[in-house]
Amino acid sequence: MTDSSRVLLEACDVSKSVSGPEGSLAILQGVSLQIRSGESFAIVGASGSGKTTLLGLLAGLDTPSGGGIRFDGHALEQLDEEARADLRRRLVGFVFQSFHLLPALTAEENVMLPLELEGSRDARSRARAALEAVGLGARRRHYPAQLSGGEQQRVAIARAFVHGPRVLFADEPTGNLDQRTGHHVIDLLFALNRDHHTTLVLVTHDVALAARCERRIELEEGRVLAPATGPTA
Amino acid sequence: MRLLLLALRTLRREWHLPELRTLAASLVLAVVALGVVATLSTRIERGMLASAAELIGGDIGLASPQPLPPVFAAQARQRGLQLTDTASFPSVAFTHQQTQLLEVQATDAHYPLRGTLELADATGHAYNGHAPAAGVVYLDHRALVALHLKVGQRLQLGGRELTIGAELLRQPDGGELLALAPRALMSLTDAEQAGLLGVGSRASHRLLLAGAPAAVRGWRDWAQSIALPQGAQLITPEQTQERMRSAFDRAGAFLRLTALLSALLAGVAIALAAQRYARRKTAEVALLRALGTSRRRVLGLLVCTLGALALPAAGLGLLLGLGLAQLAWLLASQLFASVPTALPLGPSFAAAAMGIAVLIGFALPPLARLAEVPPVAVFRQSLPRRVRRFDALYLIPLLVALALIWTQSGSLQLAGILAVSLFGVAVVAALIAALLLWFARRVAPGAHPALRLGLAALARRRTLSLIQATALSLGLCALLLLAIVAPSLLQGWRQELPANTPNWFALNLQSEQRAGFAQALAGIGGDQLNMLPLAVGKLTAINGKPVDSLSFADARAKDWADRQLRLSWASELPPSNRIIAGHWPGTQPAQAEVSIDTMWRDMFGLKLGDTLSFNVGEGNLTATVGSIRKVDWSSFRVNFFLLLDPAHAGALPHTWLASFHLPRGHATALARLSRDYSNLSLIDVDSLLDRVREIIDRVGNAVRWILGFSLLAGALVLAAALAASAAERRHEAALLRTLGARRNQLRAAAACEFALLGLVAGLTAALGSAGAGLWLGHAVFHIDGFVPPLWPLALSAFGAALVVMLLGLAGTRKVTRTSPMRLLREG
Repeated sequence: MTDSSRVLLEACDVSKSVSGPEGSLAILQGVSLQIRSGESFAIVGASGSGKTTLLGLLAGLDTPSGGGIRFDGHALEQLDEEARADLRRRLVGFVFQSFHLLPALTAEENVMLPLELEGSRDARSRARAALEAVGLGARRRHYPAQLSGGEQQRVAIARAFVHGPRVLFADEPTGNLDQRTGHHVIDLLFALNRDHHTTLVLVTHDVALAARCERRIELEEGRVLAPATGPTA
Repeated sequence: MRLLLLALRTLRREWHLPELRTLAASLVLAVVALGVVATLSTRIERGMLASAAELIGGDIGLASPQPLPPVFAAQARQRGLQLTDTASFPSVAFTHQQTQLLEVQATDAHYPLRGTLELADATGHAYNGHAPAAGVVYLDHRALVALHLKVGQRLQLGGRELTIGAELLRQPDGGELLALAPRALMSLTDAEQAGLLGVGSRASHRLLLAGAPAAVRGWRDWAQSIALPQGAQLITPEQTQERMRSAFDRAGAFLRLTALLSALLAGVAIALAAQRYARRKTAEVALLRALGTSRRRVLGLLVCTLGALALPAAGLGLLLGLGLAQLAWLLASQLFASVPTALPLGPSFAAAAMGIAVLIGFALPPLARLAEVPPVAVFRQSLPRRVRRFDALYLIPLLVALALIWTQSGSLQLAGILAVSLFGVAVVAALIAALLLWFARRVAPGAHPALRLGLAALARRRTLSLIQATALSLGLCALLLLAIVAPSLLQGWRQELPANTPNWFALNLQSEQRAGFAQALAGIGGDQLNMLPLAVGKLTAINGKPVDSLSFADARAKDWADRQLRLSWASELPPSNRIIAGHWPGTQPAQAEVSIDTMWRDMFGLKLGDTLSFNVGEGNLTATVGSIRKVDWSSFRVNFFLLLDPAHAGALPHTWLASFHLPRGHATALARLSRDYSNLSLIDVDSLLDRVREIIDRVGNAVRWILGFSLLAGALVLAAALAASAAERRHEAALLRTLGARRNQLRAAAACEFALLGLVAGLTAALGSAGAGLWLGHAVFHIDGFVPPLWPLALSAFGAALVVMLLGLAGTRKVTRTSPMRLLREG
């Protein structure tokens, strides 16, 4: 079995419910999927369909109420938060809709964060290289407030790739950007994904963007509306 | 009205916000601290005035060398005051074998109006008694011993046969330095019938009054408005001895200092909480503005919300303050047994008003700024908003703080020292914190990962870090001043009166008796013996002009020119004296020199180089004013207004004044000694020392009580300072957790961050409180050679760093548990 055909992420009958003022509320119900190493996978759906919750569960940010998720051979629901944090630090990169850069740090320092967390000694040089790769080598000393939205998202992408993650989770990465900038950012994301042989898990409500992924599922009211489709499905 | 209802609804909805609760708690605490302290200090001041009243035996009095005209008593009766007549005179008592000069006080049956008359019966059993009835006399221990008499026996005094009814242990106006001879207390009727008070007697008369404060004030105003008989003067509690007054002044300053610092601490907590509340409200205000709410209405809503919070909080603080003050009073009542116990309400209401002023002063600036949030902020929340014209509002807390310092300290000097010290601490803390942040940017990349993250966290919240460091420094400085410097100042004060402080003075010791007296004194356990020469003379001329021909602007000058002066000399400047002009004379000055106290300089308008001529016994001496001294009259040492140089004054006829310490219970031996040296006059100042020690203890107790509130206020400051950055901290923690940070990493980073913050605050506060303590000790409390306890302060600085770190860590426990999902939810 080649690496690209290996299942990296697998969700089996995953459900998630939260308790609210009117009792328990099911956000996800009976979601099952498989994501192979190196592929790009889109989760689409309308607002409130549960796609962000699913992304959080797949990335180990939260634990399911039912079912199980295996990530690189680890059953996430059996790991405590510390072990999941460890897994994220080694294997995962994130890109958010609101970029989530720390405003008091320069672009370079923001990119250095994941490397510093793993105690890397060459964090600065690797961060510079990552910024060069997203075309922001000259803006490394700028603070987020001094960068445009597109540039901020590119810094966030550099931060997501800098420590060589196995999986990149992107939550509406173009949600806060205009169409043209959004295209640039997505091009960059896919290019880096290809170059780094990273698995990309993308949450979006943009059907065109989802179409660029190799496979996709659609959620509605917490259930998978259509099974994963795409060339390799 | 609608605005008020809206404000109440807002308050109900937002009551769960920690910053609103901190605001309310800070206000309650400020009112409680100020109220308890003000109530307690009003009571203690009343107690002290009552103590002072005990010193004179009434609330006010009138002393005169002649019997007083009946109008003074009539006016007192009209006002419903109680009154008593006393007369004091020297008289010789006879028994079969002995005679003894006694200082006799004759009183009517109402004596004393204030304080108690402590007596002992024949068995030595002490009790509180009444003035002696006709035919009865009370003698003090020295008189009994000198006359070889016991309670129940008889003696002759003023030609009348009197029975010794009791031993006089302590009387309200006892213990004054004027009481030179053993004392006796007899009935005024006996004294009058014996003709001891007739024309030509040497009796001095006193009318003492007591009653309701308003009536006393009324009589006093009346007495001051008329011409008093010649030689008569009012005796007021404020005129009690210099030493006692100094003790009262210091006590008051201590209490005010502690109250003030507690209130300022609460002010800092309020400022921090208000800042945070304003930040939280920014988005809401932007939305209200965008929806068409006018700026004025927004401001009105904020002010009403604040008011709706402030009034109940101030009311609660007021009630708690009154309750705690009453509790403290009950617990400490054994110290204040003789003091009126009505709970004064005024101070607590004033405290509530001051608390609201503190809230307005410290909370208004950030909230007023909030009203300036532009509607466009709904779209661009990160838009930097800085409305310059509101900068001036930040003067309000400064002004409120200054006003508070001014009104509470009651002394320009205390106010100035505190204001300058705290301002200095704030500036230095901000500078050090800024330097640390600048340094953090440079060293952080190469530092240990935890330190790197901690430094980065500090740097990320640059403004907040500066505010936190400054607020923590101010809070800690106030706490250290209270917890370490104030007790140490009290200790310094107490040490001025160590157990072996001279408690006896002996006058009239002859030169040839000195050696024998010293030996005899050592034999009965006396120590700390110090002897000073004492010549008695009169001032005859100033700069060659007869003093009778001179007129002086200062009314005291004439009196001093007429009276017998005590002159002394010493080769070295005595302790408690400081030269402020000129030089202390060398061993052999070419011409006679005199060193004068500042009171003499002011009274006679003297300057260096002026000459003073004295007549001492048969001889005359003219001396040049060679130096001017500042004398600490509050010290329990023998001090003189005029000190001559020994080379020229040594030949003057003189006796010696001895001061020494004799442990209690040695009075019998001392009486034996005084019989051997029958020319000696012995003066006991133990009761005076006791009173000062008692005042120090009372103040110490009160300070300990107040310290409890201050610690609470300090904890609030800390909580408010930490809470100020909680929101940012949670967001960061969520991001770092998402990126895979372990909890331990976040905890280590937070530990580094808070330890650094605590260290900056601790060190600045320790330095600031040491400096302020040194200054206060020297300038306000006049404690010679006071050095703040440096080691405890240094340890406290590091302790503070540790506490801030631990509390910071405890406060961030929740933060490190923040779910990383939060980021995804935020988008």
